[in-house]
Order: sequence, then C-alpha cells, then structure tokens
Amino acid sequence: MALLQIAEPGQSPLPHQVKRAVGIDLGTTNSLVATVRGGRAVVLPDAQGAVMLPSVIHYGAADAPIVGASALALAALHPADTLMSVKRFMGRGRNDAEEDARRSHYSLAEGEEGMVSFLTSGGKISPVEASAEILRVLSQRAVDTIGGEIDGAVITVPAYFDEAQRQATKDAATLAGLPVLRLMNEPTAAAVAYGLDADGQGVIAVYDLGGGTFDISILRLHKGVFEVLATGGDTALGGDDLDAVLADWLLQESGFETLEAGEYRQLQASARLAKEKLSEAVTVDVDLSEVLPGGAVISVSREKLEQMIQPLVKRTLLACRRCLRDAQLEEGVDNIVMVGGSTRVPLVRAAVADFFGRTPLLGIDPDQVVAVGAAVQADILVGNRPEGDLLLLDVIPLSLGIETMGELVEKIVPRNTTIPVSRAQEFTTYKDGQTALAVHIVQGEREMVSDCRSLAHFELRGIPPMVAGAARIQVTFQVDADGLLGVSAREEITGAEASVMVKPSFGLNDEEITGMLQASFSHAEDDKRVRQLAEQRLSAWQLLDGLKSALEKDGDALLVAHEREALAGQMTELQSLIDGEDTHAIRQKTEQLGRESETFASRRMDKSIREALAGVSLDSLDDEVMQ
Amino acid sequence: MALLDFQRNYYQLFDLPQEFLLDQAQLGARYRQLQMELHPDRYASASAHEQRLAVQYSALVNAAYTALRKPLDRAVYLLELAGMGAEEISGQQVDGGFLIAQMELREKLESMISMVDPQTALDHLITEIGEDVIKLQGVFSVAYSAGEFPKAAAACVKMQYLDKLLLEAEILETSLLDG
Repeated sequence: MALLQIAEPGQSPLPHQVKRAVGIDLGTTNSLVATVRGGRAVVLPDAQGAVMLPSVIHYGAADAPIVGASALALAALHPADTLMSVKRFMGRGRNDAEEDARRSHYSLAEGEEGMVSFLTSGGKISPVEASAEILRVLSQRAVDTIGGEIDGAVITVPAYFDEAQRQATKDAATLAGLPVLRLMNEPTAAAVAYGLDADGQGVIAVYDLGGGTFDISILRLHKGVFEVLATGGDTALGGDDLDAVLADWLLQESGFETLEAGEYRQLQASARLAKEKLSEAVTVDVDLSEVLPGGAVISVSREKLEQMIQPLVKRTLLACRRCLRDAQLEEGVDNIVMVGGSTRVPLVRAAVADFFGRTPLLGIDPDQVVAVGAAVQADILVGNRPEGDLLLLDVIPLSLGIETMGELVEKIVPRNTTIPVSRAQEFTTYKDGQTALAVHIVQGEREMVSDCRSLAHFELRGIPPMVAGAARIQVTFQVDADGLLGVSAREEITGAEASVMVKPSFGLNDEEITGMLQASFSHAEDDKRVRQLAEQRLSAWQLLDGLKSALEKDGDALLVAHEREALAGQMTELQSLIDGEDTHAIRQKTEQLGRESETFASRRMDKSIREALAGVSLDSLDDEVMQ
Repeated sequence: MALLDFQRNYYQLFDLPQEFLLDQAQLGARYRQLQMELHPDRYASASAHEQRLAVQYSALVNAAYTALRKPLDRAVYLLELAGMGAEEISGQQVDGGFLIAQMELREKLESMISMVDPQTALDHLITEIGEDVIKLQGVFSVAYSAGEFPKAAAACVKMQYLDKLLLEAEILETSLLDG
C-alpha cells in the first residue's frame, strides 16, 4: 500500500517499534481523533482541552481556512463562507445536492458537471477539500499529542455511505496527507469499542443517530470475530433534522415569515441547545430576541418536542426492522449500542429500548464511541497487537450491479454481502458483429438504472465480430476490505480485457488530487526525487523484510532448493540496488521480486488454511455446538 | 495447486463431509477460523502482493461460506458438484399437484391485503411455507445421498418456488407494517 510508505527522506523504518496509529471520526457536526495508549483507547483533546472539533470550515478572502469552534463563531456572520455539515455533500452530484444546499444557504458553483463545489470568498471549495481541512487539524493534533508522524489512520464512514461517498472520504484523507489503513463503518467501530470492554459474545445492535445520517447495524460477536450480519439506515435523516423541526416550529410560533441565512443558522443553533436541555429539563424558554430583532421568548416542553420528533424516530425504527429482517436472526438481540449525541434524547432511548426489548448500553460517551473503536482497529491494523485479538467481517451496504438491455439493473453483488468479495457474471452481445461492449456500473436496490446511483462507465473493445449471443463476456466485481470496488471484463474467446478501479464521476480523479497536493506542498523538484527514492527504498525494505522472515519460517517446508535459490538471488540483487540511487531500478526489481514470490506467498496461505483447520480441535468445536 | 482444489470444492476448503445436512456451528467455526488467518486485515502492513492475495483468498472463503450457509444455496451447489448446471436444474419436471398447490398459495397471498386481519393470515401462511420447505429439504437430502440427482434437482426446484413465495410474503408483511 503506497500510502503507508511515507517516511522522511533518509529515514528507514525501525522494525518492531510501536507504531503511531489513530482513529478518526469524521462527523457531520463534530469530528474526533483517538489513539490507543497503554492498552486503552483515549480521545485526544486540543490545547484548550476540547475533544470535539466542530466540523465547520470558514473560507475568508485572505487567510488560510479556519476550522472548528472559531469557524463556528463566524457562521452567523458569513453563512456562505462558513461550511457546516459538508459530510452531507461528500461524493454527491450537483442535482441531488441542490435541495440540501438551499436549506443550508450555500451557493453552489455554476456550470459544473458532476461534482459539487461551494462558492466562498476563499474560492471554489469542494466537500473533499473542506473535509481535508478537518482531517489536517485532527492529524496535527495527534502529531502534537503523540509526538511524531502518524503511521496509519482508520477513518470512519456511515455504514450506509455508497461507493462515491467512500471514495470521496478516502480522497480527503489523501489530500490531507494521512496514510489510511482502512475506512471503517461507524456502527462497526462503536461495536468494537464496547466489544473489547465487555469481552462478550452474542448479537449486538448499533443504533447510530448522527448529525446528518442514521445507521443501524446488526453484528454477531463470536470469539473475537465481529461479523456484520446486516446494515441499513437513512442517509437523509439525522440529529440535524430533529433540530430543524424544532427550529421550523419556533419560526412559525414567532410569526416571522422568512429569515436571512445567518439568522436561520442562529435559530438552528438555539433549537439544538433547547433540544439538548430538554434531555434533562421538562421545559425550556427560548429567547428569540437573541436571534431575531423583536423576537419573543417561546416556551417549549419536552412533550411538545417529543410530539414533533416522533415521526422521525418512527422512521429510524422502520429502518431497524428492515435491518433485523435482513440479518435473519434466529435468536434475539443481546446488546444495544447507542451512537451520536441525539441518542441522549429520552424519547429516542425509550423508543429503542422498547423496540429491541433491552436497555441500551451507555458506558461509553455516545459522541466518542466511534472514534474509540476506530483507534482500536487502527492499533490492530498497524501491527501493534501481533496476536491480533480481534477481526472484523463487514458487509457492503448497497447492491452493486450493471446496466443490461432496457435500462434494467442486473445485480451482481447483493447488499449485505460480506467483504472482501469477488463475483463474476457472464454476459453476451445482442447484435450481430458487435465489437465493443459498454459496461455501466450502478449501485442501489431498485430495478431501473435511472433509480440507482451511477458509479462508472467503461468499454470493452476488441471483441471479434460474431453473431449475436456468441461472445462470452465475463464481468467480475471485486470489493476490497474498504468497501471499494474494482470491475473487470473479459471476453472468454479472444481474451480481450478491460478494467476500472471505480472512481465515481463525483469524486476527484488522481490528477486533480496530485495537483492539489502539489499546490499545498511547495516541494522543489529535487525534494520530490529524494522523497520518491526514499519511498521506493522503504517499499523494497518492506518486501525484503517480509520475505526474509517468511523464508526462515516456511522456506524449507514450502520451497524446493532451486526455487529458494532463485528467490535468494533476486533478494541479493534488490538489496544491492537499495544502496544505489536509481529509483526506477529499485521499483522494477521490487515489482519483479513481488511477482516471483507470489507462488511462495500463495503456498504459505494454503498452509495457513490447513493449520487453521487443524487448530480447530474437536473440543472447541463441541464447545460451540453446545452453545 | 492446493488452491485449485479448494476452488473446486468448498466442502474441502472447510474440511467438512460433502453432504446436504451439515453442522452449522461447525461451518461457522471453520469459517471464522479461516478468516482469522486470511483476511486482508491480517496483512494490513504486508507487501502489496501479499495484500492482493489476501483479498483473493478471503473473498474465496466468503464465497464458500455463502454457498454452504443456506440450505437452498447448498442444494444448488451440491447439484453443481454432481455436474448439473443451473439450466439443467431449472429444467426439471415438477409434478402438477405441486404447481396447483403453488397457484393456490399465491392466490391466497394476493387476496390477503383485503382481509380483516391480514397479519395473522400472513403469519399462518409463512409458517405453512416453512413446514413445506423442511419437508423438501428431507426429500433432497435422501435423494442426493442415494445419488438420485434428477429427483434431488426436482426437490431443489420446488424449494426455489417456495423461496420466491416466501420472499413475496415478506415484502407484503413489510408493506403491512409500514402501513
């Protein structure tokens, strides 16, 4: 993974050193960073002691962007220059973002195909760039606290995020210069945060009412393995919507017709504060004169609030029921984990407890639980826990398919399939002499292409002219552990091939990212060369180190003498190249050695399979059968 | 080479006897054990080549688990191992009595929406279908063990019919609940 190999020029990685890993909850309203220290995951505060960083970015005309609480303070005065809830716009097309933008009083850039960007005094800003600013601040906070560059980060995303939204999140991390180990689903992270404390097993439901999204996941924990059984939710429903219904009601009560953008922001903030207070108090008074000149004091009771938000809470429970059905449980739910500040609302807690017939777990702060779980996973992935006491098996949230005749969708990977997954399906030509085939990849549950999210188009060329239906075209979808998709197509008779790593039309392409990176760093050309050489050396070292220890362990058992000699020869050659300065030669040799050691690597994995099965003793199996 | 064997036969991958009736707890335990070893998370700091291999192996284990976990998928997979393609399976003759019973169940389902208490009626229907599925699984198991593949395939086709019907019943239930 190229992103892991960022090291300062001349610096070589020390083996067996504890690596610096962080978990980041990149939230709609607030963002957090956590790390594992002394075996415990802790959230990291800023210099003022605040743990939560408001996900707000202010782009003024002159200065660098301002992030966090100081940006939030500017929101009322400069609504169009102060971006809030940008997560709602991540990876979304202009058309489906317009309604949200209008509500938030943002100006969208004109004449853009595809991706959204906002017009601010600081220029045209995409949601990816704005998110990268948040990540930079959190990453700097971690560097200052932990004392050194970060080796790897796990960033959380709502389980219901589609392909485009995930890719956009990863792009933001790249832009911020963060080495991403994994994108992790927020509910899974929350379950992990509790799972380790409880050391339990059984079925866990995670109810995650974030600022802008609602997620529900059902997981099973069994001997250190978290298996996500099903996930669902509503990407257009969150705590912000609870605030909005209250704000709308306050506006109606006050008798004002319309508001300025800044006033609306303030009204929403007042509504949020009132909602929070009503978790403790039975009534609160909202003084609208602070927001609107001449506004009255309006009293809101908890009962009134509950009456207003009831339909929204009911919508979340409908999603819970669909998810439970998808999970096909034979047993009941043992534990409920609550995530997101809005789950402090008593009505929400009561409704969830009533629905599942269990009292939710409340041991970890619902605002911090996601970051804590992400930090634990980052610590494992970066290799700080060689025993690997925990494994996550996650699923894809939405079905993936391709367009077929009549604008219908043929699903290839159904939702809730465990990842990684590789699925192939055969298609054929529908016209005599057809020599090319356009593949249109979509995501969603509906049958018509127009009702699904379009992810990418690509073309398979070079099919020899044949009668309709004679060609055999195998389309393979591969989804990796981040939930990111690669698609390839192959005509079986001629072997013509085409493939794409899905880069949704709404994300940034690699060139754009490189351009932005170049703009944000001012590396001289020489500097870049030194850096590339250092990175290439690092990746060569990694391969050599890995191979050396693999050979010590399994070389005798799995390789015959001449295979072993061939590998050793290649390794010596690479070793001597590393001492030189020829980046290109090191890269080529590393790739060659990588390819040639694949057989050995694959034999080692086959051996793992056999050992894993031999390791399941009859006793432990009987144990499980008893349960 | 060992890998090719596993790809040909998922039962071998999990080291389980090639039978229709299998121990779910054992299957689950072996699945988790294999993922503990092969999942890409275990190779997060390994070389790019090893990471790619881990994705492939882990995906294979997932595919194997999916094929064996549910009885209907397992039945189809066993018939495939016996050399029957999907088309050959669906081309099996199904007796007229079964088809008539199917049509009756379907009519019952369609008329339910106008009943006084559709929920209770639907619950009964879902239970009834579930019982039929269990019976068919028994028929499949006996026929498959005896090597009577066409007979097993016929039972499999019937299971597919009922599976579809069950799905429609569940969609109806969801729409009733969502009101």
